[in-house]
Amino acid sequence: MRPSRCSASAPDIGSRRVSGSFWALIGLLAVAAFGIRAVGLVAGGRIRASRHAWVLDDLPGLIVVSLVASSLSGQPALTWIAAGIALAAAVATNHVIVTMAAGVAAYAGLAWFGV
Amino acid sequence: MKHGALAILPLALGAAVYGFAFGLLAAQVGFPWWGVGLMSAAVHAGSSQIVAVEQFSSTGTIAGAALAGAALNLRYVGIVASLAEVLDGLSIWMKLLAIHVTGDENWALTMAERAKSPNIGAAFLLGSGFVMISVWTASTTAGAVLGAVLPDLQRFGLGFAFTAAFIAMARGLWRGRSQALPWVVAAAVTVAAVSLGLPRAYGIVAGTLCGLLAAALLRRTSEAVA
Repeated sequence: MRPSRCSASAPDIGSRRVSGSFWALIGLLAVAAFGIRAVGLVAGGRIRASRHAWVLDDLPGLIVVSLVASSLSGQPALTWIAAGIALAAAVATNHVIVTMAAGVAAYAGLAWFGV
Repeated sequence: MKHGALAILPLALGAAVYGFAFGLLAAQVGFPWWGVGLMSAAVHAGSSQIVAVEQFSSTGTIAGAALAGAALNLRYVGIVASLAEVLDGLSIWMKLLAIHVTGDENWALTMAERAKSPNIGAAFLLGSGFVMISVWTASTTAGAVLGAVLPDLQRFGLGFAFTAAFIAMARGLWRGRSQALPWVVAAAVTVAAVSLGLPRAYGIVAGTLCGLLAAALLRRTSEAVA
């Protein structure tokens, strides 16, 4: 059994009987992703022209920010400092891989020095 | 179609690195390699897949993970809508195939090339899309195969890679100062909700909804001023 991720409360999925869950998640996500594309094909123009179109633009960013916040909530200073370094890398480069590499290196380095 | 397939290759290389990293991460949190490959072929949406896998691994809820991943894909309503002229004349089945293989990279390249030459159309989009989905599926699967045989890398901080990926995504979604207040509200509400003992999935929903409310109030205020 693998240990959980940096969140101490995160459950592990490696040891569960999760084959059915994997299928369900993949199926549900595939249907949802294709459904969104199909909506764009059928009614995209009308939705973009509606007065609520801004929700489509704003929602992804808000979800991602909330995901970051939930990952950091209750975490030790080490995680917050690594997140700050990752943020600096993201601002400087706007590159996913560089940001991930900088964040993981910072986290590992800080842990190595016992922060 | 060949023109699009060749033109997308440099972008596909970048996606392959990203896909390999995602596959490795997914395998390290327990996803089987076949699941990663199947998901990449069936969903074909990088950021949605990362969010769904991370949410599933940390909360264990299928519907919540799928919903969070799908919501991140809402931009495709606009992306596909912008392809109306490009897809015009295709059969419905070819249209459905085209929208499935459409990703950020080949959409942007198709639109950019079309702006230069009106001859660029559905064939270019399909050719570039087939390359992108093939490279994405192969690279994520390869990453997952390697991730499954590597020792546990969590203690070296690999688990933090998801958080770092989300930070990078947020940077990519940043469009200006008008987003600052809604984002701060979303982050603060999420941290408060999770700190108060609410499950992470609900904390994320609460933060997102409060951020949307803040954005709506800002828009209303700016419209009233104008």
